[in-house]
Amino acid sequence: MPVQPLPLSDIRVLDLSEDVAGPFCTKLLAGLGAEVIKIETPGTGDPSRRTGPFIAETPGAEQSALFLYLNTGKKGITLDRRQPTGAAILQRLAQDCDILVESAPPGDMDRLGLGYAALEPLNPQLIYTAITPFGQTGPYRDYQGSELVAQAIGGMMHVIGLPDREPLKIGGHAATYTTGMSAFSATMLALHVRDAQGHGQYVDVSAMETMAVGQIHASIQHQFGHVPKRRHSTLVRAQDGWVHPGLDRGIAEDTWARVCDLMGQPELADDPRFNTRDARRENQAELTAIIGAWTAAHPKEEIYHTLQGLRTVAGYVATIEDLRSSAQLNERDFFQTIAHPSTGEGVYPGTLFTLQDTPWQHGRAPLLGEHNTEIYGERLGYCRAAREQLYGAGII
Amino acid sequence: MTTHALAGLRILDMTQVAVGPYATMLLGFMGAEVIKVESCSRMDISRGQARPASGSAALYPHGDIGERPWDRTGHYIHRNVNKRSLTLDVAAPRGKELLLQLAAKCDVLVENYRASVMDRLGLGYAAISQVNPRLIYVKISSQGATGPEKDYGSLGSTLEQTAGLASITGYGDGIPLMTNETFPDPVVGMLAVGALMAALRQRRQTGRGTLIDLAQREVTAAMLGEYILAHSTTGNVPGPMGNRHPHMAPQGVYRCLGEDMWVSISVANDTQWRGLCQAIGQPQLAQDTRFATLPARHEHADDIDAILSAWTCEREHYQVMHMLQAHGVPAGAVLQGGETIADPHLYARGFWDTVNHPESGPYQQVTTPWQLSQSPRRTATPAPSLGQHNAYVLGEILGLSEQDIATLAQEGIIGTRPIGAGT
Repeated sequence: MPVQPLPLSDIRVLDLSEDVAGPFCTKLLAGLGAEVIKIETPGTGDPSRRTGPFIAETPGAEQSALFLYLNTGKKGITLDRRQPTGAAILQRLAQDCDILVESAPPGDMDRLGLGYAALEPLNPQLIYTAITPFGQTGPYRDYQGSELVAQAIGGMMHVIGLPDREPLKIGGHAATYTTGMSAFSATMLALHVRDAQGHGQYVDVSAMETMAVGQIHASIQHQFGHVPKRRHSTLVRAQDGWVHPGLDRGIAEDTWARVCDLMGQPELADDPRFNTRDARRENQAELTAIIGAWTAAHPKEEIYHTLQGLRTVAGYVATIEDLRSSAQLNERDFFQTIAHPSTGEGVYPGTLFTLQDTPWQHGRAPLLGEHNTEIYGERLGYCRAAREQLYGAGII
Repeated sequence: MTTHALAGLRILDMTQVAVGPYATMLLGFMGAEVIKVESCSRMDISRGQARPASGSAALYPHGDIGERPWDRTGHYIHRNVNKRSLTLDVAAPRGKELLLQLAAKCDVLVENYRASVMDRLGLGYAAISQVNPRLIYVKISSQGATGPEKDYGSLGSTLEQTAGLASITGYGDGIPLMTNETFPDPVVGMLAVGALMAALRQRRQTGRGTLIDLAQREVTAAMLGEYILAHSTTGNVPGPMGNRHPHMAPQGVYRCLGEDMWVSISVANDTQWRGLCQAIGQPQLAQDTRFATLPARHEHADDIDAILSAWTCEREHYQVMHMLQAHGVPAGAVLQGGETIADPHLYARGFWDTVNHPESGPYQQVTTPWQLSQSPRRTATPAPSLGQHNAYVLGEILGLSEQDIATLAQEGIIGTRPIGAGT
């Protein structure tokens, strides 16, 4: 099969979003072939440029691993949309694009004359995706959000952590990455509609609702009489880390007996405390102690592969280092090495999904204002003197 | 003109358990016709057992297993709204033949079996694309369609581990923890919708369908991208970070009035810190040099936490949230699942649908994480009973006669009760 066209090779995206969710959404659009023009505030740029971790542990506008990762494959320009001239330039850019993604507080873009109501008459085919902590309507619309707040208010974190401790956040930016994914899917749905029917539309995505979908498990348990609680961890120590034996669900009939043989304790195979799934769940603490004594003497990945070989759903807690050395991830070329003029080569997670015979567009993140000349000069026709004037006024 | 984004799109849904059903649930909300295929010998395990012991751990309404326990478990009915149900024994030659005929009349097939299962059944992408080259085959798996671990079994909870997410989740003591929420399942369900839209767009350009290879482990690991990139230049391996954050102070979860009630607070800058001091009635703290800057607040985080906890523990979590937000401070009640269904904001935005399920009664249904102005979602229709739409799918879509359908039932190719349930 010949190489297939990138699905978004004819699509241009204006990316006004900041932090994690919006940039992750547009990173995926870029991966699928769209031309993404990231618009940053002159001088300071996207706040994620100031967020760690940093390359070589050295802070700097071009050094943030978070920024570099979230903005692969994009072009970068600077524009102060709060100045009237900046807003007018943005309107021009919006007339000639397919998708606009922003993450401003509700009403902010309207006040600048850059909301959907203002842009839609200029470009009825425009898809306008707005990503916020709480959405564009409703009593919390003007509230401030954060990664932690999203996990809390969306109902996600109450059951995470230990029973005798406070609720615990999922590590990293789990809520905002997920919000980026839901924004991506929503934008792609709108593009599908446009392809079929010709019109654009407004897309409202919120972190709170994304998390409320993420906690689907908890809301249904509550309604069916089982109030889920934070509970004791079922991870057990291995020689060099942590594993999960995966014996509670989804395993074959004879698996338990084979695990007992493996541990050198065949007499446990018929032990009524452990010989059914329900019994094992009932006697979880004792089971964990017995298995833990065995796992403590073996390396985590060996346990993972051995127990998977017995048709369990075993897991091991992979560290970043373990991910990098994973045979599975490497055989699938999950990691991509991408060079950057400021920070040199780095290793990035690559594609999130593949379409057969269709490459993913990998490219580095832009330097702050890197494509000003190309976009303002070549595309919009500002001559050098006019560009100098814009620079002088702090507009770009 | 239709208003649903996916009206006219027909989906052959061979998914089970969680991640796949979440994806097709969302597609159903957007207007696709979703035909869920199970068999009477192998129904979706989220339906529980054909003859559960009473008091079983599965989620039955009020603990009552009813006459048709497989049609009423909470997990099944919640994940399978907006779908039609067909039973078909695809291990039998006649069942397989019918499945291929049905695939010829669908736009999309979605499945989330272990990676080799559909190939072994002779229903992998190679076979399906022969009968329908325009079909898009969405293959959701734990590890991906290739690689040495492709047939490893897993649950959402396993994937949190093997994708690295558990390694950065935990309190400050270095011990990794899982989410108890099978987080990678709903996440990948949400992403799969966009992946499918990309393939539909490509089909518009090429006239051909494709195979989408979507690995839950990879999607989850992608949420650690910045740490992976940083590691490649520094060698740093991050561990669990608790609720704190290097760029936020204070940040944490604080006890409120009531049993197991909490509020989350994140302060990103000095303005928000001054707002917080105002909100809790201690404006003098804003002048305190111990707390004047972000690094200073980090250094004295324990002191701040003690001050905040003393204030929050006398108030309800929503009250704290509203008081702090009134001063521009990011704060959110730590809602339990049962509280989210009563939350005024989600209610005002129409997030929940009330579904009256014939077996389970009324409940509040999770809908979509997005709102499209011109393409509203459908109102949820209750999850179907096993084989509820056999006659519709076989008769109206495949054109079988009533006699043919009756024969299939006699031969056990189709049915409406699982094997082992008795009659």
